Amino acid sequence: MVPKMIKELFTIKKLDLSLAIFIGALLVSLIGSMRYSDPLKMVGFPEQPPSREFPLGTDSWGRDLLALLLNGIKNSVYIGATAAAIAWIIGVAIGVISGLRDGLTDEVLMLITNIVLVLPSILIMMLIAAYLKERNTFFVSLVIGLTSWPWVARAVRSQVMSLKEREFIQMSKMAGLNETKIILEDILPNMASYLFMTFVLLMSGAMIAEAGLSMIGLGLTRGVSLGIILYWAQTLDSVRRGIWWWFIPPGLCLVLLTTSLLLLSTALDEYFNPRLKGG
Amino acid sequence: MILLSAENVRAYYFLPQGVVKAVDGINLSLEKGITLGLAGESGCGKSTLVNTLLGSIKPPLRLVEGKILLDGKEISKMNISKLKKDVWGVEVSLVPQSALNALMPTKKVIDFIKDALVQHKKFSDSEILSLAKKRFEELNLDVKALYMFPHELSGGMRQRVVIAISTLLNPKLLIVDEPTSALDVSSQKQVLRTLLDLKKSGIIQSMIFVTHDIAVLRQIADKIGIMYAGKLVELSSTDNILYNPKHPYTVGLINAIVTPEPEVKRRKIMSIPGQPPNLLNPPSGCRFHTRCKFAMDICLHKEPPLLEVEGDTLVACHLFSSSKGG
Amino acid sequence: MSWLLLSVDNLTKIFTVGLLRKKEIVAVRDVSFQVDSGKFVSLVGESGSGKTTTAKMILKLIQPTSGKIFFEGKDVTMLNKYQDLKEYWSKVHGIFQDPYASFNPLQKVDRVLYQVFGLIKDQNVDRDKTVREALKEVGLNPEEVLGKYPHELSGGQRQRIMVARCYLIKPKLIVADEPVSMIDASTREGVIQLLSNLRDEYKTSVIFITHDLGLAYYVSDEMLIMYKGQVVERGSPDEVMDHPSSEYTKRLKADIPLLYRKWEGF
Repeated sequence: MVPKMIKELFTIKKLDLSLAIFIGALLVSLIGSMRYSDPLKMVGFPEQPPSREFPLGTDSWGRDLLALLLNGIKNSVYIGATAAAIAWIIGVAIGVISGLRDGLTDEVLMLITNIVLVLPSILIMMLIAAYLKERNTFFVSLVIGLTSWPWVARAVRSQVMSLKEREFIQMSKMAGLNETKIILEDILPNMASYLFMTFVLLMSGAMIAEAGLSMIGLGLTRGVSLGIILYWAQTLDSVRRGIWWWFIPPGLCLVLLTTSLLLLSTALDEYFNPRLKGG
Repeated sequence: MILLSAENVRAYYFLPQGVVKAVDGINLSLEKGITLGLAGESGCGKSTLVNTLLGSIKPPLRLVEGKILLDGKEISKMNISKLKKDVWGVEVSLVPQSALNALMPTKKVIDFIKDALVQHKKFSDSEILSLAKKRFEELNLDVKALYMFPHELSGGMRQRVVIAISTLLNPKLLIVDEPTSALDVSSQKQVLRTLLDLKKSGIIQSMIFVTHDIAVLRQIADKIGIMYAGKLVELSSTDNILYNPKHPYTVGLINAIVTPEPEVKRRKIMSIPGQPPNLLNPPSGCRFHTRCKFAMDICLHKEPPLLEVEGDTLVACHLFSSSKGG
Repeated sequence: MSWLLLSVDNLTKIFTVGLLRKKEIVAVRDVSFQVDSGKFVSLVGESGSGKTTTAKMILKLIQPTSGKIFFEGKDVTMLNKYQDLKEYWSKVHGIFQDPYASFNPLQKVDRVLYQVFGLIKDQNVDRDKTVREALKEVGLNPEEVLGKYPHELSGGQRQRIMVARCYLIKPKLIVADEPVSMIDASTREGVIQLLSNLRDEYKTSVIFITHDLGLAYYVSDEMLIMYKGQVVERGSPDEVMDHPSSEYTKRLKADIPLLYRKWEGF
């Protein structure tokens, strides 16, 4: 069943396109960052437009923008994936438990969810940033992950609540299956589309959140990401000064990566919906 | 006078896994003033046939062969926009399955009517209102319903409203597809009453009623056509189908009906072994032969043609064809 | 000699909806009835009558708001320990209306059969052999059915598999909620016959829930008519059909489309 599903999956053009763009960009950045291993090194004259030596020009510190971009993509994707994983695990766990239990457990978990939802995450991050002078990729992922799970919990909860009324779940219950088995065999597989899509959406959201955090100075303190490049570009007033090769490429890459992820999620939706409805 | 005729209609679904021959060589004609019941069980193709009769054919469905004539006009050749403007709602109307759930929940009934009518003719708001009011009164529907939202009406009421709306422009033919399956028996009776009133008062001339419930057809149909696996296997008057069914499938269907009547009590409930075939790969010859206790050698190889036998009955069965062993 | 298998006393279920302004929906109100062993009892009602909620309470899938359920003389109303429930479900089992929804669409149909071996006392049975025998009992060819996914089988086949599941468990009581209303009329009797066989061979009782008055008339030993959560009529099928006392039953009877008679004015 699974190999057949995967084969059918690849007949959707949107999926092929989006996956190609995303993986293509990622591969280029992985290879590129191996070649340009030290992007923060000063290698040329500052603020040079694109040339044969530096295809994307240099920034105000004379650093190769192509090197910065390639490394940046790699780190942004890493942060996106890690933050998504953290948020996904928390959101799905809370959503499933809350969806299955009625009464107090459900109310308490939803209360926590709602509180985290309305917390102004920027303020929290500013507070934490004030305390932690060193912020690496994992920390940034953690902060984003810990504040972006509520919508996942709610979405998963409502899916679980509707699934648990389906007769086949009652049949498993009457066969004496314990709750864990029912979750793993009956509930989660029948929400696979949801689970995939939420991860993809979380990832795209996390990459944008990283850019946002970085642009207000709360991002990475070491290393480079797309957000950090934009941060420097903005701090050094590159827009007004017309240094387009500094802010356009990273912005474009961010848009490209997140759009391909969104396209992937709609392709997954298209694939999963007719199948799950049919029979 | 023939209102609708279908000549050798074949409509297939072209799917990645194969071709589903949902309607495979149907010939039927409907006279003016007649209510035809189309009965059949899951997978028999009756809903596909109904869409084909209207000309509502969208990929993956394709009309492979045959033509459909409505009042002399060839529906099967018209394009969708012409059908939408001049035919649907005006000459023929379809109330599809679960139409009662198709009403926009955020619009009042009268607004829905305005939207529906605007496609065909330029009516003024007051014209629409008076037309709707008059029609509701004719059909014993509470005029107040015009100003309500769909969820404020009961299931039965919603269905009657949908039927009233689809016949506002007095189409000659009304086709209803399982209009009462989701309703309780009392609402069902009311909807059937409304359909009967439509015909008695001349608002519509003929009706095609598609269902799996033959007892319902008994109450309102003049003729009944039995479909099985994409084919029409028997077509006759209601009385003939009930008291003198010919095709073994028809006999099986009638015998499986459970109503609290002494006649049914006398013969016990029966069933037909097996299940309807997969139309991707239907059985050879007569499609019913795998479940028929009268199956002969010829049934495996040759498809029985639909032939006229005694009493104005059409049957597609080798037990009745004049050329046995051909 | 038959004895009391199930006794339902004043069963009530009230659902509360809404967070701040709580609204109460009384789905089942004061329902009482008994089921002897080896008997077919029908709960007849239309949608909203409370029959499915009653079924779920007897199957211990929903907790009643008030009232008691006695099974084999024991009070099972408050049963909630995992082991106790497993024991209960080995004796009381359910068959539902929608033959598609009763299966996990992503798993082979074999699963609904093999998963009940956890309920059976004898752990040393040859599972494959027992499953194949059960399938044959319900008129299915194991080769045609095992290893398939739900969407590859017809509704009738799927319901038969559900009955085969009961053949494996051999419960004392089956609660069948509209078991044949979603399969073709021409194949219904086959499934009902299987339930009758269980009754004849193992003295299994069946609570048969349906909206089809005619069907209930033919299969039941006792009929109960439910309307808006209450039992409004009860008795043997002949009593209920020939001498209905409640207005609702009379109306229900009058609105059934008959095969050999036409309604007045039609």
